[in-house]
Amino acid sequence: MIKLRPIDIYGWVIGTALFLFLIGPIVTVLIWAFAEQWRYPNLLPTQWGFRYWQVMWARADVYESLITSLTIAFATTTLSAFICWPAAYAFARLEFPGRQPLFMAFLAAQAFPKFALFVAIAVVFFRVDLIGTIEGVILVQLVNTLLFMIWIPTSALRAVPPALEEAAFDLGASRLRVFFEVTLPQAAPALAAAYILSFVGVLFEYDAALLIGAPYVKTTPILMLTLSAQIVVQYAAVLCVMLWVPAFGLLLLSRRLMSARTIAAGLGA
Amino acid sequence: MTTDVFESAVPPSVAPPRSRRLSKRFGEAAAGYALVAAPAAVLFGLILSPAVLAVIDTFTIVTPAGRTFGLDRYAAFFADGYSRANFIYTLNQTILATSATLVVSFAIAVFLRFGSGRVARTVQALALFPLFVPAIVAAYALTRFLGPNGLFQILLEQVGIRGFVSPYLTPVGPFIGFVWEAIPLPVLILTAGFAQVSSHAVEAARDLGAGPLRILHEILIPQAKRSLLVAFSLCFLGIFGSFTIPYALGPAAPEMMGVFMQRTYGQLLKPDEAQVQAVICFMACAVVGFLYVRLVATSKG
Repeated sequence: MIKLRPIDIYGWVIGTALFLFLIGPIVTVLIWAFAEQWRYPNLLPTQWGFRYWQVMWARADVYESLITSLTIAFATTTLSAFICWPAAYAFARLEFPGRQPLFMAFLAAQAFPKFALFVAIAVVFFRVDLIGTIEGVILVQLVNTLLFMIWIPTSALRAVPPALEEAAFDLGASRLRVFFEVTLPQAAPALAAAYILSFVGVLFEYDAALLIGAPYVKTTPILMLTLSAQIVVQYAAVLCVMLWVPAFGLLLLSRRLMSARTIAAGLGA
Repeated sequence: MTTDVFESAVPPSVAPPRSRRLSKRFGEAAAGYALVAAPAAVLFGLILSPAVLAVIDTFTIVTPAGRTFGLDRYAAFFADGYSRANFIYTLNQTILATSATLVVSFAIAVFLRFGSGRVARTVQALALFPLFVPAIVAAYALTRFLGPNGLFQILLEQVGIRGFVSPYLTPVGPFIGFVWEAIPLPVLILTAGFAQVSSHAVEAARDLGAGPLRILHEILIPQAKRSLLVAFSLCFLGIFGSFTIPYALGPAAPEMMGVFMQRTYGQLLKPDEAQVQAVICFMACAVVGFLYVRLVATSKG
């Protein structure tokens, strides 16, 4: 007979509680998305099917919101990579006065109560007519990506052994060539992971998108929460699954590229 | 760790003549500033200046004689019973949910420190799962799971438990949502903190007859103090500055400050009042925000 240690029992209790608490809600949404009829108090739907998927695919507002969301997420993350990655290189490899305090200053993005900061931004955007515009939403989302897109790449670039670069220098390679052929390939997985994390983060961001984008910019999360108020549960459930399942895959991929520990390190933890 | 973490990244090289070294260093500094200029501008333009502007705006009053310093707008906020109630409710929710998250995460991290095998791997995967679920999905999923006649109630009734009262649209709703969404980060941070606690110290204590509680209290907690504080500050700031979860799961009144501000700004169209509410949030979180930056800066700087 296998003897159970107290620690194992403790683990089973925690595991079961976590499973019910954390997985239960997601399973509920998954079931709803494929339920054509599910009335209380049945444990499972009395009729399964894809009917609501067809309904949702045919809706113009779903299609438009997906285009809006993907455009914003792609534009924001690419812009963010364009400005943050060179800075990460500077933080990792170049020597200049004030480097360390400046690097730490980016923590400010995380040190504010987020929604209050968005309100302060919204007041400024209102004065310069950026409220209700895609540009406004992209700018405010940039704030959300800043810390991740600087801190993760910086630590990745720092982890590239300088000896490798030196060897290339010794062989007569130029600084640019060393960067593209030695440094970049080494840091690429972490850069890709930072890109994916930021992309998915922006795609699902609701708070700032609502505050800055309303009433004209309608992202998919905004549409989803609007639909969740309707009597037909399946609309929002289908949209939720449609958006989240690919995102979950992307996030798992980023996890393969980078340990969870690095994600926490991206927040300075 | 007071040494510059960047030092090791700069290859030690044979010293060139002084003048060349100086110009090279000057060039490197110039390149450095050029590369960090754009994100620094975003930081300044989109984070720091809107925050500073909000502070300046809200402490300024317009009189016939011109603009002067005044606390009138804050007096108006605190004179209003509903605003006060929202502020206190936000503080309460934040403190309660942060404490609950830390307790739960602590229990999980302790298990991950001493547990092993498949159970530990499963618990770790479960605890990190919300990291892969955006707040909007979590909030919606919880309404369907815990709402009236939701799956949780159905499950309870299947095993014969009746009289479930849904926490949906009560203060318990957002509380559950916060804990749900906040669990992974403290687990990660605490697991990393506990990993630094040497097994020898724990075994030695155990050999001397220390029970699990004593080991917890005298070895684990002191060693993981910094991790606990980082986890605390991130949770606190995250929950205080939240919107989606209280918006989707919480009661119509009282409102968390995030929901209150959104309504003031977006529906009542009173940006001036929303600005005051935002600065009050900044002030309520200032100490914790400062603690967070300090903790991270001292460990990495």
